[in-house]
Amino acid sequence: MIPGKYRSVSGRAANNVNCGLHLVIQTSSLPEKSKVEFKLNKETPSFSGRLLQHDLERNYSSRQGDGRVISPSPRNKSSCISSTTNVTELCGLEMKTTMSSLSAFGDSSIQTPSKSRIRQGCHSAGPNVSGDHINLASSSMPSFPILQRSSEEKILYSDRLTLERQKLTVCPIIDGEEHLRLLNFQHNFITRIQNISNLQRLIFLDLYDNQIEEISGLSTLRSLRVLLLGKNRIKKISNLENLKSLDVLDLHGNQITKIENVSHLCDLRVLNLARNLLSHVDNLNGLDSLTELNLRHNQITFVRDVDNLPCLQRLFLSFNNISTFESVCCLADSSSLSDITFDGNPIAQESWYKHTILQNMMQLRQLDMKRVTEEERRMASIVAKKEEEKKRESHKQSLLKEKKRLTINNVARKWDLQQHRIPNIAPNQDRKVSDSPQDPSQLHGSTVSAFPEETGSLDSGLTSALQGLSVTDTHLVEVDGDTLSLYGSGALESLDRNWSVQTAGMVTTVSFTFIEFDEIVQVLPKLKIKFPNSLHLKFKETNLVMLQQFNALAQLRHVDQLTIDPQGNPVVNFTLWKYYVLFRLSHFSMQKINGTEVTQNDMIMAERLFGILAHVASSELPQYRLISILGDARKKQFRYLLETKGKKPGLVNEENSDSKRLVGENTNRATLNYTTRDFYNERLEEIKEKKKFCKMYMEDLVKEATEINMKNEALQKLWPQMFIELVRDAVIEIRNKSSYMKLCLQQITDQK
Amino acid sequence: MLSPERLALPDYEYLAQRHVLTYMEDAVCQLLENKEDISQYGIARFFTEYFNSVCQGTHILFREFSFIQATPHNRASFLRAFWRCFRTVGKNGDLLTMREYHCLLQLLCPDFPLELTQKAARIVLMDDAMDCLMSFSDFLFAFQIQFYYSEFLESVAAIYQDLLAGKNPNTVIVPTSSSGQHRQRPALGEASTLEGVEASLFYQCLENLCDRHKYSCPPPALVKEVLSNVQRLTFYGFLVALSKHHGINQALGALPDKGDLMHDPAMDEELERLLAQVPGLVNSATANPEAGCLPSRTPPRVGSPWRPLHHARKVDAESDGSTEETDESET
Repeated sequence: MIPGKYRSVSGRAANNVNCGLHLVIQTSSLPEKSKVEFKLNKETPSFSGRLLQHDLERNYSSRQGDGRVISPSPRNKSSCISSTTNVTELCGLEMKTTMSSLSAFGDSSIQTPSKSRIRQGCHSAGPNVSGDHINLASSSMPSFPILQRSSEEKILYSDRLTLERQKLTVCPIIDGEEHLRLLNFQHNFITRIQNISNLQRLIFLDLYDNQIEEISGLSTLRSLRVLLLGKNRIKKISNLENLKSLDVLDLHGNQITKIENVSHLCDLRVLNLARNLLSHVDNLNGLDSLTELNLRHNQITFVRDVDNLPCLQRLFLSFNNISTFESVCCLADSSSLSDITFDGNPIAQESWYKHTILQNMMQLRQLDMKRVTEEERRMASIVAKKEEEKKRESHKQSLLKEKKRLTINNVARKWDLQQHRIPNIAPNQDRKVSDSPQDPSQLHGSTVSAFPEETGSLDSGLTSALQGLSVTDTHLVEVDGDTLSLYGSGALESLDRNWSVQTAGMVTTVSFTFIEFDEIVQVLPKLKIKFPNSLHLKFKETNLVMLQQFNALAQLRHVDQLTIDPQGNPVVNFTLWKYYVLFRLSHFSMQKINGTEVTQNDMIMAERLFGILAHVASSELPQYRLISILGDARKKQFRYLLETKGKKPGLVNEENSDSKRLVGENTNRATLNYTTRDFYNERLEEIKEKKKFCKMYMEDLVKEATEINMKNEALQKLWPQMFIELVRDAVIEIRNKSSYMKLCLQQITDQK
Repeated sequence: MLSPERLALPDYEYLAQRHVLTYMEDAVCQLLENKEDISQYGIARFFTEYFNSVCQGTHILFREFSFIQATPHNRASFLRAFWRCFRTVGKNGDLLTMREYHCLLQLLCPDFPLELTQKAARIVLMDDAMDCLMSFSDFLFAFQIQFYYSEFLESVAAIYQDLLAGKNPNTVIVPTSSSGQHRQRPALGEASTLEGVEASLFYQCLENLCDRHKYSCPPPALVKEVLSNVQRLTFYGFLVALSKHHGINQALGALPDKGDLMHDPAMDEELERLLAQVPGLVNSATANPEAGCLPSRTPPRVGSPWRPLHHARKVDAESDGSTEETDESET
């Protein structure tokens, strides 16, 4: 023995070994086999080269380190045998004969070195077969060589035969070697497993690096415990039915696309399927003893059935195509799993990767070859909690969003009904929804048509939770950042609410949707007081049909931007509407209308078009009309103030002066104001009443006047005649002077 | 006050017929409405102002429709006010839709009925394609006829229908508001092989109507002039002819001649003054004070291709009365 040499090798081993095959043969069940021994007495010159080749796959992952590997140097000194152990590990086979159970799995070889009988390895130990020792002669069968060993060889290595690098293209016929336990065909060109069915005591069969395309010819090898078929061309796992004792199955580096036909291997403890073409993992039932499963370097996207492996401890999924935790969620249900790798998968790039895994797999002791610390576990649970909260929050958000959407939908439907846009179908639909609120599909169906892009994400539970809302809510108020959105006329009442100073101050955009403009006009004074900073007004579906309706906006404090959506606002179709807005609201010196910057030319144009109207309105209106019209405007402003006077006496004064200033700013267009339809009709009624009264009054007056006139005329007609008659009577009376005198005197005396 | 008719009528009827009562009633009504304000500066002053504004025709601004249409003077004043206020729109070359003109009317009279605007548009557009664009002058003159003579036109429509139906119109004329009847294109489905009615017969009926009509009618001599040019004509042909007739326009007296429609130097001057006041635009406004320097707008869009065609059709209808529809209306 050359301990030094092995030490150096074992040092390598510590680096290289990590995984691939980890074989423990329980000698307890096979007492006679435990006598098998081998010596590492033949060193082949090509040792290291072969090692590299053979362990190509393992070298890949050597960086990962492996906690399970015995830390070599101190222990190697203590025991030659342990070194041997490590050497055997080199070739991927760590054969440990442990009398004890698997409990101290990783360290067993060290703790009980004396018990372990490690037998051959494949390459370094055992006879180096060469032409000298082995006679490969052509037999009677044309194509198969027949192998015969010299008797001393047979005695020396009675239970093992190594035929590596013999450029074999077929399995030779092996005669008289019925007690062979170990057979090695590494690095040949064998395409088919043949001629070994007589070796029924075979325990170990190594066909690494051949050209085998199908697993076959093994049905008689009932004792076989280790089958190494790495680096072949196998496409399918098959014909393993009789290998019930199989302990280690190495199929790495083949072309297998599917895990199948393994469910009977209830003793299998190590299965290596690395570097195959697996796209997913399932069909793992029945592998009741499997402790290690290597699936590196496949194209696996999801893993199933792992929770059916009661003994699985190590699972290697590195370098696959797993991108979500959901696709491997069965791992969380495995209670035995303690070691797992995901490196080289998309999932490992995710920020949530580590804590999600740790949170869901509390039993894990190692993740990606690193020990999981308590700290990490704690972190994971904290992060997971946060995640959960976030999820709940987002769920709530989406719930709210959905509620909003449904409400808006509902408001829109109401609006359409109100506008008589949908003739007969809509009321029907409406009624159906309200009649059968427990029928989600109905509601869902109706919403799909309007918002097809959103409904996909909605789960049915959400819909059912929202149904009641969608039926009852007729309006929606929403403050989003600096935007106050009002849907449905009921939303206008929200302006009466007590808004916090902060919110009110922040709101600079107010949008109205599905509200009759005339209703908006009535709350404009409130808007002005409650949201003094609102600069941008948006109108959509508000029934703006006339230019004069814009007059109503003049009473606001300031408007910077105006957006009138053409939808439901026919006024936007007019050529002149923009100019009229600019003209009428010129005191705001607006920046944008419908998103377009207002230019100087626009301003001039507006003035050119409507300047005369303002001039005529202000200069030609008789004074009493001017006063009454301006008075109306002022009165309107006061009306609201009177209502709220009790609450804010200070504000009234301010408003008062404000309105005066405002009126002063553009007297010549203040006469152009807008009274809502209802209010105007009210006024017309009032005027009608007054007119009726005036008519009667005037009628009486005029009749009286004409009567007087008629009497006067009649009198005028009669008067000359009357006068003459009067004179005539007087003359006749005084014609007889003396008698008249007498009469007069008599009258005087009578009076006394 | 000393006109000879006065003697023919009792005072009250005379006042009513001359609409003096209307104005007196309205004055009192206005007084009632604004009594607080008016009492501050004197009732005598109020009446002075009121009747002055009636004379100037500014009393109808922003008043309710029932008042605006109450007297011929009010109607003429309204037409004039409309022209003066929105002449600039026409000058700018914009072609507008019926609805937009209606909006302009509503700026002056908030409850102006859509029906009247529609009827006026129907005169311009010959009863089809109601959402087409119209030029300001076309609309204005059509609107003038429709608005000023609206009751008369109602009666004319009834007469026209009766003539088409072959009835003797003199017995059945009831000048009620039979709106809607005349909306059907008369030529379609009627027994007559020619479109419209015979002009001379039509004129006789109209003359008759004018004699008896209590509302304002166009001067019969001018109606005769319009009708004497053609043999047959349709109802809309008649209305178009009326609206284009400058004599009728003159008789009405509210609007200038078509050629001078865009001409109003006093107002232009005023406009320049206003433009100079546009905030922040003093320089540019004084730099190009000429009205001709209007920023060029895209003139006739949809309108231009079919407009001349349309006029040609109207002329056809007027000139020979026979139409392209002759062949199809054989029964």
